[in-house]
Amino acid sequence: MVIVKIEPEGQTVEYTKLNTVLQLLNKQGLHHTDALVIRNGELLTQDEQIRQGDEIEIRKVVSVG
Amino acid sequence: MKCKVCKAKAVAALPSHNAAFCKEHFNSFFMKQIAQGIKRRNLLERDDKVLVALSGGKDSLGLMYALAELGYNVTGLHIDLGIFESSIKARSVVEDFCKSKGYPLRVVELEKEGVPIPLIKKHIRRPICAICGKFKRHYFNKVAIEEGNTALATGHNLDDEIARLFANTLRWDQGYLSDQGPVLPAENGFAKKVKPLFRVTEYESAIFSFLADIPYHHLPCPYSSGASFTGHKMLWRDMELRSPGTKRAFYKGFLDRGRPAFAALEKEEKDYEINPCTECGYPTSAGVCSICRLKRQMQESMEQEAAKGAE
Repeated sequence: MVIVKIEPEGQTVEYTKLNTVLQLLNKQGLHHTDALVIRNGELLTQDEQIRQGDEIEIRKVVSVG
Repeated sequence: MKCKVCKAKAVAALPSHNAAFCKEHFNSFFMKQIAQGIKRRNLLERDDKVLVALSGGKDSLGLMYALAELGYNVTGLHIDLGIFESSIKARSVVEDFCKSKGYPLRVVELEKEGVPIPLIKKHIRRPICAICGKFKRHYFNKVAIEEGNTALATGHNLDDEIARLFANTLRWDQGYLSDQGPVLPAENGFAKKVKPLFRVTEYESAIFSFLADIPYHHLPCPYSSGASFTGHKMLWRDMELRSPGTKRAFYKGFLDRGRPAFAALEKEEKDYEINPCTECGYPTSAGVCSICRLKRQMQESMEQEAAKGAE
């Protein structure tokens, strides 16, 4: 299980299996320059592997206006 | 993915620069973008006293930090909009940030000025975001001038500038197209305005603030629609995906070749004068400035409401 928190919406989504950051972004309909992807306080590039048990935050960067 | 400079593990990839960077080299890349932009477009002089408008978001706090790191004399200015929890949170983020970094901070409370945004929203039947922007700009200018600052810096980034330029272009708005840009010189009683983040995207700005451990506020205003991708920004996002670097080229081309043409036209046709507002002294082309007119409208609406209540 991988737990993903999405900001600024504050939603939490769970995935049973995820391989890479790119796959996660695709599932969320995001391109890699749309959001910061953070794990344990570190930024992840889109080629990074995601492991079982990871807790990840997606922080969208496009501000309103 | 590896850093273009040192081959260490990268933390961010930037397709528009055809590069990926580690933390250290992303930071140098970003600071270089800011420093070069300031120099090439003559945004700031070394002895400028810079007032930085701080909302508490990633762009404004990152801008304050970058300018201080580059050795500029900076003071923060936060406008407390009085929008309940949202404004309390934003203000505390700004205050904590300035305190921890030792930056001087000035706070204007719209509540104390008699114009908190919720009250304006109740009494003025026009889109609140536009009115809120007007009041913020008014107090930015007022504090900048009255307290001896020589420049007012805002955290507008390349994406903000592109969205605005695109909207101005769709309307062929000659007035705005004649002077939109990263620097608006001091004139007619207004302080010089600069946008030192004009060369960096929203994404780059977010990475910078994140890597600098700046605890920014990232919740949208409760009065905004909440949509994270708005109209023109969405179009430009797709354009940039298909052909990285388009945003930078469009903006640079406008500054180099588009704006001068509109500025020349505007100079020929300009038919208004800027004078002090007859009520508050703030520079305006309208006799009584829009802020004084809005305040008057609010006053009338509140008096009507009180009269109804008394009946």
